[in-house]
Amino acid sequence: MKIAVSADGPDLEASVAHAFGTAPYLLIVDLSRQTFEAVPNPGATGQRGAGMRAVVLAISKDVKAVLTGYCGPAAQRQFAENGIDVRTGVSGKVKDVVDGYRKGELEEGEALTGAPLDGAAIRRDALVQALRRSARQFAMILPMLVGVVLLIGLFSAFVPQNLLLAVFSGNPLLDTLLGACFGSLFAGNPINSYVIGGELLAAGASLFAVTALIVAWVTVGVIQLPAEIAAMGTRFALVRNGLSLVMAMGIAAVTVLILRLVSGLD
Amino acid sequence: MKGDEVQSAKRRIRVPRVLLFPALVLVLYGILFAVSPDKTGVALNRSGSIFLSMLLPLALVVLLMLALNLFLKPSQVVRFLGRGAGIKGAALSVVGGIISTGPIYAWYPLLTELRQKGAGNSMLAIFLGNRAVKPFLLPIMISYFGWIYVVILTVLTVAGSLAVGYSVGALVREQTGLRSGESPASE
Repeated sequence: MKIAVSADGPDLEASVAHAFGTAPYLLIVDLSRQTFEAVPNPGATGQRGAGMRAVVLAISKDVKAVLTGYCGPAAQRQFAENGIDVRTGVSGKVKDVVDGYRKGELEEGEALTGAPLDGAAIRRDALVQALRRSARQFAMILPMLVGVVLLIGLFSAFVPQNLLLAVFSGNPLLDTLLGACFGSLFAGNPINSYVIGGELLAAGASLFAVTALIVAWVTVGVIQLPAEIAAMGTRFALVRNGLSLVMAMGIAAVTVLILRLVSGLD
Repeated sequence: MKGDEVQSAKRRIRVPRVLLFPALVLVLYGILFAVSPDKTGVALNRSGSIFLSMLLPLALVVLLMLALNLFLKPSQVVRFLGRGAGIKGAALSVVGGIISTGPIYAWYPLLTELRQKGAGNSMLAIFLGNRAVKPFLLPIMISYFGWIYVVILTVLTVAGSLAVGYSVGALVREQTGLRSGESPASE
């Protein structure tokens, strides 16, 4: 059985860190094997969402319990939903706290100041969190969407339609390639690709080009390629993006052909 | 305290970043209005009509967003990924990719971590490919392209992600940090 302890240092002699989300280290202690792993907390930067990154890390480590000084309600809810026991109000050296937990002393000790949330509180908190999260997501999407729509308005008024039709010539192969290349160059929320694609379609671009753009927008990322290389390795990133570019073109071709078959369009 | 000040300064900078693009477009509008007020008015009207046509789908997007945020948790994605191989692993990676939200940059550290734990390249690539399927954005997509197109594209995107995922798995050597059966724990 593994437990996670927020810690000020990378060993068992370290003190339990007060805040779980921003603790410098999470010590993942395997009680049955009597081993531990010190993991630098990705949330230690204290940036927005830091606490949740620490929560995700702990869950990914398969821990069954979390010992810490303080853990926010949102994090507690995430742990509770994943069947993880949370003990807050814990302080002292990590090794003493782990020993106390192993012996069952923590369960009834004074350290247990953080009572688990009851079902109704969890549901209420879940709704509030969902509302906040949705509002945040929408607030992040909206400004970019407003900018894109305003830009489309400018394009439709100032750029002659002939120019667009000169770029997208009507050749399915070239249009698909161009659409996939455009999609690969842009990043951001895919809602923008739907709006741009929809307006391009209305302006006369082919569905091949638009579909390739939409698929490549998310699956291929030239702008985020350095980050993907750093995280996943050069070969993985290049092969995945290259194959995804080809796949975006393939998906575009097959989608349009099936659509024509289904709807009887030419 | 100094750290807090730096953090709050960073937060202050983040807000204008989100608004930078629309602000630049508005500046462009201002310049073009000075040059050609008539055409700029046409552009504004065109943008307004696009927004009006998007109101209902956007309202549905918000409702779907709320429902998904209520019933699907980011932490569940962690449980989906890197568990098992074969059809089950692929299916879980597909679901994980579809329900994952937020910018891709936030997911890279987790994917690296999962790879260290032994998650295969195929599963990670399948996860990344399925981020193209966004259930809460479907109303906007349907409003522009129709539901038949959306169904076909969604099915093909999932199928395509599986093809790309398994191809990546075949072409890229596994780089797990652990040998089979080795524990990451150490003392």
